[in-house]
Amino acid sequence: MGAIERLAISKNGFVFDPATGNSYTVNSTGLFILNLLREGKSEDEIVDALVENFEVSQEEARRDLLDFLEQLRVNGLLEASNV
Amino acid sequence: MYKVAVSGINAVDNPGPGVGVAKSIKQGDLEVKVFGLAYDAMEPGIYMDWLIDRSFLMPYPSKGEEPFLQRLFYIKERYGLDVVIPNLDAELPLFIKAQKELSSFGIKTFLPTEEQFKLRSKGELPKIAEEVGLKVPKTITVTSYEDFVKAVNEIGFPLMVKGVFYEAYKAFNISQATAYFNTLVSKWGYPVIVQEVVSGEEMNVVGVGDGEGGHFGLVAIKKLWITSLGKIWTGITVKNEKLLQAAQSFVSAFKWRGGFEVESIVSENEVYLIEINPRFPAWVYFATGVGINLPLRLLKAALGMEPERDWEYEAGKLYVRFTDDFITDMDKFQEVIVNGEA
Repeated sequence: MGAIERLAISKNGFVFDPATGNSYTVNSTGLFILNLLREGKSEDEIVDALVENFEVSQEEARRDLLDFLEQLRVNGLLEASNV
Repeated sequence: MYKVAVSGINAVDNPGPGVGVAKSIKQGDLEVKVFGLAYDAMEPGIYMDWLIDRSFLMPYPSKGEEPFLQRLFYIKERYGLDVVIPNLDAELPLFIKAQKELSSFGIKTFLPTEEQFKLRSKGELPKIAEEVGLKVPKTITVTSYEDFVKAVNEIGFPLMVKGVFYEAYKAFNISQATAYFNTLVSKWGYPVIVQEVVSGEEMNVVGVGDGEGGHFGLVAIKKLWITSLGKIWTGITVKNEKLLQAAQSFVSAFKWRGGFEVESIVSENEVYLIEINPRFPAWVYFATGVGINLPLRLLKAALGMEPERDWEYEAGKLYVRFTDDFITDMDKFQEVIVNGEA
């Protein structure tokens, strides 16, 4: 099971990894992205969803998404090959 | 009514497991009277009469087996004693060696064999790790200053300097390492263990082996907040499959009997074995609190009953230790000082 799948994600943005005991907080955008990642959505699909739901341009959404994914990788929550 | 003695009732800043064990067995479905075995009249457990019904001062195990066992036989004769659950490293060799003799006097234990006990000593750890398919930080056991310097040069900084029973320090340079080495030698004697530092999440597992390769439950935790002595103050239950699998392999490979604690460092793809303690950790009540009453299960096993084996617990349960205080009369203190029991 990948790290994203095993995470316990609360509606208030508190994220707990049961395998490592680490916890994180994400804002509503982060929560939105995490949930889409769990559904197996691709990078393009997530960018589209961000543009649709938040007032951002395609470029801004992609940049922020890549930044967020990188943070997930740094924290060992996403493998290099994911997304 | 079962009469059960527990040691390690020193609920201080470096707490023994006794109070957690007493609290656990009192919460179980057996009717028990708990006797505390103490080494000092100031051990807080003596005064915690809601958990410990009567306490006895014990001679130090270093004074020899005879006076120690005589004290236990006295308790048995005078008050009745069914089971002893020893919780301190320094007394375990004595209990393990004497388990048959104790049993012949009707005092039951549930302990590893001498061979198992020796196997998990810090110096032997690489062998266990290999057997159960875990990694182990490079470890060198030294018995002289010359060997120590050689070991330090081989491992490089930072490194851990550890006493054979107690205490571990992280050293970043030779003067620090030498100071820790000298402290440990003067306090605990040889050998001293020099160990590579590995990075990752520090996680521990508590469990009870059934002596036949199975177990009566495992609970894995991560320390979130520790004291300056490295003792857990806040922790969280985790479910790390690799670590739990390793703990099961350890139990089955060595047919471990009794309580134990596996200390490990889990990095992304590896589990490093740091230490195996042949007893419950001081935070053992954490397991009880998440529904796996390991001390009670050990007690049942010692009594020849078949304990529960389920160990489904929730990850993300928080352990919170706190300081508390209470006031009591001086009577009990006086009795302990004068009579050695109260």
